[in-house]
Amino acid sequence: MPTASLSVLDVPFDERPDPDEYIRAAMEWHFGPDTGSPFWLRKAGTLDFDPRRDVKGVADLALFPNVTGELRDVPVRDLIPQGYGADARIVGVFESGGTTGAPKRIVCLRDWLDRLTHGLSADLDGLGIPRGVDWLAIAPSGPHMVGEMVAGTAARHGGLMFRVDMDPRWVKKLISAGKAEETDAYVSHLVEQAAYVLRTQDIGVLMTTPPLLERLARHDDLIELIGEKVKGIMWGGAHMDADTRDLLRTEVFPGCALYGTYGNTMILGGATERLGLGPDEPCVFDPRTPFVTFSVVDPASGEPVPYGERGQVVMNHVSKSALLPNNLERDLAIRVPPPEGAAGDSVADVGPVAMFDDEVVIEGVY
Amino acid sequence: MSQPATTPDALDAPDAPHAVDTPDAPHAPGSPDAPPALQALDALGPKGPYRSRHRLTISDVTGTPMAELSLVPRLFVTRALAALRAAATPPLEERLAALKRAGELFATGTVAGMTAAAYESAVCRMSGTPLANVRIAVEAIRLSATEAYRSVQAARPVGAVGDWRDPYARGGTAVWIRRGDVFAVHAAGNHPAVHALWLEALALGYRVAVRPSRREPLTPYRLVSALREAGFGTDQVVLLPTDHDAAGEILHGADLSMVYGGQEVIDRYAADPAVLPNGPGRSKILLTADREWRDHLDVVVDSIARHGGTACVNATAVLVEGDPAPVAEALAERLAALPSLPPQDEKAVLPVHPLDTARGFERLLLGKAGGARAWLGGDGVVDDLGDGSAALRPAVFQLDDPLDPRLGMELSFPCVWVAPWTRAAGVAALRDSLVVTAITGDEALLDALLAEPSVKNLYIGDHPTHWIAPGIPHDAYLGEFLMRTKAVIRG
Repeated sequence: MPTASLSVLDVPFDERPDPDEYIRAAMEWHFGPDTGSPFWLRKAGTLDFDPRRDVKGVADLALFPNVTGELRDVPVRDLIPQGYGADARIVGVFESGGTTGAPKRIVCLRDWLDRLTHGLSADLDGLGIPRGVDWLAIAPSGPHMVGEMVAGTAARHGGLMFRVDMDPRWVKKLISAGKAEETDAYVSHLVEQAAYVLRTQDIGVLMTTPPLLERLARHDDLIELIGEKVKGIMWGGAHMDADTRDLLRTEVFPGCALYGTYGNTMILGGATERLGLGPDEPCVFDPRTPFVTFSVVDPASGEPVPYGERGQVVMNHVSKSALLPNNLERDLAIRVPPPEGAAGDSVADVGPVAMFDDEVVIEGVY
Repeated sequence: MSQPATTPDALDAPDAPHAVDTPDAPHAPGSPDAPPALQALDALGPKGPYRSRHRLTISDVTGTPMAELSLVPRLFVTRALAALRAAATPPLEERLAALKRAGELFATGTVAGMTAAAYESAVCRMSGTPLANVRIAVEAIRLSATEAYRSVQAARPVGAVGDWRDPYARGGTAVWIRRGDVFAVHAAGNHPAVHALWLEALALGYRVAVRPSRREPLTPYRLVSALREAGFGTDQVVLLPTDHDAAGEILHGADLSMVYGGQEVIDRYAADPAVLPNGPGRSKILLTADREWRDHLDVVVDSIARHGGTACVNATAVLVEGDPAPVAEALAERLAALPSLPPQDEKAVLPVHPLDTARGFERLLLGKAGGARAWLGGDGVVDDLGDGSAALRPAVFQLDDPLDPRLGMELSFPCVWVAPWTRAAGVAALRDSLVVTAITGDEALLDALLAEPSVKNLYIGDHPTHWIAPGIPHDAYLGEFLMRTKAVIRG
């Protein structure tokens, strides 16, 4: 097999390279002794296949073990491909939510963030969200990548960004400890801060999570303010069921374009809502292939489920800056055919793994 | 009824085992894969019926799918309660007239396209409640709607009037006012009659949100539909079937709430002044030695078995001064004669469940009954009806100790614990009871039972524990919780 040209890894933002050719080039880069990261070069010795020889395309990413658990301990500098040399431009070190044990860490490089935010901004153009309007993000910052991603997108779209900080780890701790009142008080605190910005500034784009949108919707005055000012609402960070999405679109914020993202630290970004979906179509998320690819599988067999069926989502991130293949996530989603020319699967109706209780439920009596 | 500590309560009970969550895989209606047409039980929101994408298939006791219940998301709850809050309360006369119309319509009319007979049959099949009990419940709901004013006025303090315009206000008076505007009910599904009580809140001028039990949502669906057809606006009363994660939003959005559940629910909300919990009844009958128990056997059997034994007002325990064995034996003989029949049978008296659910009840009972003397049901209480469903047959167990905690173990079928009662055990053995029927001539004992705060209702003599009438409190008057007094004086 001819050695893939590494230039495809730096393909212009507007172009989508041939997926399999791209993956082969990425294998050359990440497993080349002079270009790969210390982490992957060490790992290569433990694999029972040779990524440069055996990984010929997107489908072969399934050969890799899931290494995301190791990202809890690995020194992050070992994750940076050596090929960048001394001029590697680092945006920052970011962490997964850290809600299930210790957080996993990744390093985000400038070339990847630029590619990501370019795509998001282009989608906003497609949705008719004007450039040059200002943004309000009620979203995690600090160790969480989403804040950086949104700030980058706002800047690229010509906006100033106002921020309300959110600590999702603390919220989850409160919830799991059953401290509903404290959770409620914290969310009220976020809403109050957002209200100051919405009342005084000309906010054209709002970015937040579905639970926060629901909490904003408790306040008629805020619904009115958002209706007057905001042209687009970008949401992510939590699931949104189809009925809630429909209510937001038709009743609560009918004048705003709603734009969903399905993000994850382990893919250094997210899949985004397909543009032009009809009101009765489910919310489909398309990953930015071939950089990010999904497959929807039966967790028991690891085999893909048929289109239209529900399965568990496997995610791959393959960029010049990072390699995180074959990561089985806990989310369930319906497998959807990808757009023309894209690789892997798209997903719809994303939700958490459902729990079933086979115990007899005995309902209370008054 | 009581439940094990591990059992989820009414607020976050997962679906009954025979209800299956159906996340909507999109399918074309009419395509070969489309499910057969089921009755659609829509949410009834502030803009009318609402059919969600997230629906729950509800099956009858044999496992045959019957209906699709729309489950609303949290955001829908938020908006619905905001609409109730923004609404105005219609004048008293209008409310009472509409309640009366709704009660008659519910009991005899065609509501949301369903005749009264079709409704009665459907509730039987859905919940396994015997037809006779459904009819009792329908009558209770009709009576509550038509007599609502009388019922609520019974709770008004004698020093309070209804309006500042009342002449009494010239010299100063109390006026009886609402503590809030929006009342939420997290309903139970054990008996359709639970929906009789909250009608009082509408009579008092509250706007009401009902979260139905997912085991039997048909009764509140019909009742809320009837109220709307009778003239209540869609912003006056709403039906909000939800997942448990939206239940908290209903509590949040309402001024006051009433919840049904087990001991856990009672404990959780005991300190919340905005929540009225309805818990296990643990109703009891006391037979003292100065009375001939054989003369009262009918009322004891009726107390245990009426309503299929599913109500909080059914007797869970019988305490006998002297040897309880003959009483237990006689009860076993009488209760054993009750027939096992499909719930929609005119003669059905026992509750019916899907076979697996029934076996779960049986396991629970037999697991607790160790060491007790079984007079009936010791080998099990499940009677397989052969169509996927089973009747729960009566059980009679004898205990030795009047303070045995199992005297408070309430199961939703005719299941009774019989124990000896002694003067030494006294009132302590009768504590924590929604109703005590005391068949005794001992006035000092009656005084003590009346004074005991945890005995909620005291019926003296030959009255079944399930006796109730308009104007009689169930667990104090609901009006005591919903209303307060305000001093008013005018020139």
